[in-house]
Amino acid sequence: MISVSTRFTSGADIDKFAKKLNSKGRKAAKTVRVCIGTGCAAKGSRRLYELFCEAAEQSDQDVRIEAKCVGCHGFCERGPIVVVEPGEILYQRVEEPDVAEIFRETVVGGRIVERLLYEDPVTGKKAKKADEIDFYKVQERIVLGNNGLIDPTTITDYIAEGGYTAFAKVLSSMTPEEVISQVEVAGLRGRGGGGFPTARKWRSCREAKGSPKYVICNGDEGDPGAFMDRSIMEGNPHSVIEGMLIGAYAIGSEQGYIYVRNEYPLAVEHLKMAISQAREFGLLGKNILGSSFSFDIRINRGGGAFVCGESTALMASLEGRTGEPRAKYIHTVESGLREKPTNLNNVETWANVPAIINRGGEWFAGIGTEKSKGTKVFSLVGKIVNTGLVEVPMGITLRQIIEEIGGGIRDGRSFKAVQTGGPSGGCIPAEHLDARVDFDELTKLGSMMGSGGMIVMDEDTCMVKVAKYFTEFLQKESCGKCTPCREGLAQMLYILDRITDGEGQVGDVERLEELAELLEGTALCALGKTAANPIISTIRYFRDEYDAHIKEKRCPAKECRGLFRYEIDSEACKACGICMKNCPVDAITGDKKVPHVINQEKCTLCGTCWEKCPFAAVLKV
Amino acid sequence: MAQDNTIIEQIVDRYDAEVGMLIPMMQDLQAECGYLPVDHLHLLAKRLELPLSRLYAVATFYSTFRLAPKGAHEVTLCMGTVCYLKGANVISEAISREFRVEPGGTTRDRLFSFQAVNCVGACALAPVMVVDGQYYDGVTPDSALEILHNLQPDEESTEATAKEAKRD
Amino acid sequence: MHAMRDLLGEMPVCRGVKSIRKNYPVPTVTIDGCKVRVRKDATILEAANRAGIWIPTLCYHPSVSTDASCRLCMVELDRGEWRQLVTACNYPVRRDIVVYVSSERAKKARRGVMELLLARAPESKELKVLAKRMGVKETRYPNVTESQRNCILCGLCVQVCEEIIGKAAIGFAGRGVDKAVAAPFRQPSEDCIGCGACAAICPVGTIKVRFHEDEKEIEISPFKSRVKMLVCQECGALIASTLVNEQALTKANLNSEEFRERLRLCPKCRRLQTVANLGSVTFGKK
Repeated sequence: MISVSTRFTSGADIDKFAKKLNSKGRKAAKTVRVCIGTGCAAKGSRRLYELFCEAAEQSDQDVRIEAKCVGCHGFCERGPIVVVEPGEILYQRVEEPDVAEIFRETVVGGRIVERLLYEDPVTGKKAKKADEIDFYKVQERIVLGNNGLIDPTTITDYIAEGGYTAFAKVLSSMTPEEVISQVEVAGLRGRGGGGFPTARKWRSCREAKGSPKYVICNGDEGDPGAFMDRSIMEGNPHSVIEGMLIGAYAIGSEQGYIYVRNEYPLAVEHLKMAISQAREFGLLGKNILGSSFSFDIRINRGGGAFVCGESTALMASLEGRTGEPRAKYIHTVESGLREKPTNLNNVETWANVPAIINRGGEWFAGIGTEKSKGTKVFSLVGKIVNTGLVEVPMGITLRQIIEEIGGGIRDGRSFKAVQTGGPSGGCIPAEHLDARVDFDELTKLGSMMGSGGMIVMDEDTCMVKVAKYFTEFLQKESCGKCTPCREGLAQMLYILDRITDGEGQVGDVERLEELAELLEGTALCALGKTAANPIISTIRYFRDEYDAHIKEKRCPAKECRGLFRYEIDSEACKACGICMKNCPVDAITGDKKVPHVINQEKCTLCGTCWEKCPFAAVLKV
Repeated sequence: MAQDNTIIEQIVDRYDAEVGMLIPMMQDLQAECGYLPVDHLHLLAKRLELPLSRLYAVATFYSTFRLAPKGAHEVTLCMGTVCYLKGANVISEAISREFRVEPGGTTRDRLFSFQAVNCVGACALAPVMVVDGQYYDGVTPDSALEILHNLQPDEESTEATAKEAKRD
Repeated sequence: MHAMRDLLGEMPVCRGVKSIRKNYPVPTVTIDGCKVRVRKDATILEAANRAGIWIPTLCYHPSVSTDASCRLCMVELDRGEWRQLVTACNYPVRRDIVVYVSSERAKKARRGVMELLLARAPESKELKVLAKRMGVKETRYPNVTESQRNCILCGLCVQVCEEIIGKAAIGFAGRGVDKAVAAPFRQPSEDCIGCGACAAICPVGTIKVRFHEDEKEIEISPFKSRVKMLVCQECGALIASTLVNEQALTKANLNSEEFRERLRLCPKCRRLQTVANLGSVTFGKK
C-alpha cells in the first residue's frame, strides 16, 4: 500500500525518493512476505496474508512489523511460501493454523519453526534460506530477482529496489541509438519463442517510415504448461513497464499496448494498478521527467484465442477484428498495427531491458552461450519433484535443470522425455539430457526454446498420446484461415486418433510425415508451420512406440485405452471385492480371501477397477 | 429497448467509440449481461457503424464469448498439458456424462456452465478445476462430481428447471 | 515486342514487356528462367502473368483484396542459400528476385494443398477441373470435415459482399475446423439484397442461387437468405431482386416513376411490346 505519493520531475527525484524509502527510519524492522501468485493463492495464501496483516497490526512490539504480499517465488510445488525478514527464513507449505506460530516464534521471537522449513528429500537436511535449497542454488534470477521481494501492487517497493533508474539514465544521458547499441551488445533475443535479435527489431522499427509508431508487449502466453509471463506480470509488472519505456524511447514511440490473456485476471489487475501508479508518479504520460518524451500504455485483454499470441493476429485483435494472422512478407516493424511501424516483444524480453541498461550490455553478454545470451525463465512442470518456475543462464544442461533443480522424477519413476517449446516444440529424450539449453541447440534436437515451457515425462507417458494432445490443441486453436493448417491438422488428428484407437495402418507414419512437410512449407503463420513438430519429434525419437501401436495394436506406456490389458496381481489383492462390485460388465470373479481375477474376454478395458482398487493390485500390462 | 440502449451507450462511451476496442466492449457487455444478447449486438453494430456480420465473426471466434445465457455457476476445467496427462479428459467425460453437458455449454437446468480451457497456469496443482473463481487442485472424477453435486441453484436456474419440467 | 524464342529449352517462351518509365525502380523477376520487369510492389502472380506462366489460384480475384488463405499458388523464392515457399498472389516484388514455379518442391506443395482441398470439397466439379489442369487426379485424404462441406473457406464471397456490394451480409463464423461462412446468428441475413455476387464469385460452385416461382423469391443457398423479386406484369417471369433494383436505382439516381414503369416488363415481353408498338413495319430491299 502506498502511503506516500509524489510526482517525479527528474531522475534525481527518483534517487532521492528511493533513498528515503530505504532509510532506516522508514523500513520496517521485521517483514513477513506472503506469496500471492496464482499458484499459492489457489492454496489459500491470500487468507494467510490477511491473517499476518492482522497479527502485525495487533502486535504490541516496539519495532514496526509489516506483512507484505509478494509475487511468485517459483517454488510452486512447495507453496504457499512465506519468508520472514530479517534472516530470510523460508517457510513452505504454510497453512492457516501455522500463522500464529510463525508470528510468535519467528517474527517476534527470532526462533525457527523447524517443521515448516524445506527438507531435502534425499539428504534430509533442512534449509533456512532460499539459497540453501538446491532448487534455487543453480538459478540466476535476474528477471525474477524481485519476485518474492517486492509487493507488486505498490510502485514504491519497485523504486526502493532501484526501479526506474535505468529509464531515468536512458532519458537523461543516452541517445536512442546508444540504447539500441547496449541491447545489441547484450545480445538479447526474443523470449517469446522466436528468438529474434531484439536490437535488430528495435533498429528496424526505428528506421521504418511512418508514424505514429507503436510498441506492444505480448502477454498472451498460451503454451499449455507455461506460466513464466504470468508470474512476471503478476509479481513485477513495473519491470515490464520500465522495459517498454526504454524501448519506446529508443524506437520513437508514444503509445504502447500490453495484450494480456483473458485467463490471467490477476496479471491484468496488477498491471492496471502499476500503470495507474506510474502515471501518478509522472513516469507515464506527457513530457516524462521533464523531457520531451511522452509515452502511455493501454491494456487489452485477450478473448481466449491461442493464435493471438502470433504477432499479426494480436494486432488484428487490437484492431477489433478476429485474430487471424496475415502474411509477413512485409514485416510488422514496417507495417503492423493499423499499418504503422510496430515493435512487438514478449513480456520476459521487456523485463530484461532495465537490467541490461543498469548493468550494461557486456555484463549481460557475459552470461549464457555464444549465440544465446542472458538467462531464461522456464516453467518446470510434469512428472518432476520440484515443479515451479526457474530462471537459469543459457547453456545450462537439461540434466542440471531436471536433476539438480527439479530434483529428478517423482514417485521413483524414470525420465523418458522433456517437452519444450509448447505446441511448436518437440520432445527430447534421455540420450540428450546433457545438451546445453540454448536457442540453437534445442532447434538442432528437433524442438525449440519456445516461450519456456518444460514438461517432464516419465515412462508411463505414451508419446503418441502426447503428439495427439498437441495436435488436438492446435486444431482447436487454429484460426482456420489457411488450408494446410485447418485441413492438415484435421487429417493428422484423424490418423493419430486411428493409431491410439488401435486402428493404425501401415503407412500412417509416412502419411504423418508427408503432411508435416506440407504444413511446414505452405502454412500461413508460425502456428501452422510448426504444428507438426510434436508429431515429428516423437516419430524421430520414439518411432518404436508408433510401430507398436500400429503393428501390434499395443501401447507400451499403457496409456491408450484398449491397447493394453488389466490384470490383478494375486499377491497384492486383498479380495476386498470393490473391483468386482464396480465392474460394469461383471468381468471380475473372486471370493472372500480368494484373489480376484479379470476375465479378459469380457473385459472392456474401461479401467474402473484400476481406478477403484485401494491396494493398487490392478496392474496395467 | 431503452435499457439495452443505455448499456450500449455506456460501453461505447467508455471507449470513445473506438472500433479497435470492439473486443473490450464486447467483454464489458458480456460482463454486464452474462452473455452477448442478440439485440444488444444489433445496437452495438449500429452505434459503431459496423456490419453485424463483423460482430458475429468476433463473437464466434474468441472462446470467451457466449451467445447464450450461462448457468448459475461457472465451472472451468483446465485441459493444459499437465492436467491432461493427469487425466483431465477423463474428468471432463465424467462431468459430461453425469450432467449431460458438453464443454462450452450450460446444463439444462442452468445450474452451471461448463468450459474447458487451455492451461490456467497452475500446473503444480494439476488436475485443476475452477468453480466460480475458486481453484480446486488435484481433482479426480469422483471429487469433481461431488463438488458439482453440491452446487446450489439460484432463482433463475430454479425457474429454468421448472420451465423445462413443464415442457417435458 | 513479342520475343518468341524457343532456344533448345534454355529460355522458355516469354511474352515481352511494355516499356516502363525509367524514373521508377523497376525490379526484374526471373521466373522459371524467364526475365520480366514489373513495377515495384507488383506481385509474383502479376509477373507470372506477364511471362505467360500459369499458376493455379483459388482465393485470388482481381476485384477484391486477397489474404492468400487457400495457399494454392505456392512458388519457390530463391534466397541464396535456401529457397522459401511463398504465395505468388500477394508476395510484393521490391527488388530483383528469382522465382521457381515448376520446381519439384513448388509443384509438390501445390499438389499437396490441392489434395487437401479435394478432400474438403469432394463434390465440386470446378475444383476437379482445376485439379486436373494441375495434374492432380485424385486425393489420398478422406473427407474429415463436419461443417460446411464443399466450402473451401476462400473468403471471396465475404470479400465481394463487403468490398464491392457494400452489404457485408455474410461473414466468417467460428474458428479452425468449425469455421464457416454464414449470415449473422445463422439466420437469413437482413442485409442480403439477393444480388448473387457471392454465387458468381464462388470458385467451387458451392454457393448457388435458387429461384422460387411460387413465392416470387430469389434464394441464396446455403445462407437461406430470400429476397422478393420484380415480376413481369405480362408473363410473370422473375426479373431481378427488388433490393438490387432499389440499390441500383438509388445509386444511379433513377428513381423516377417513368423508369419504374419500364421495369414492369421482363426483357422478352418488353421486346414484344416494342415490336407491337412499331405496328407493321416493312423491311424493303433496295
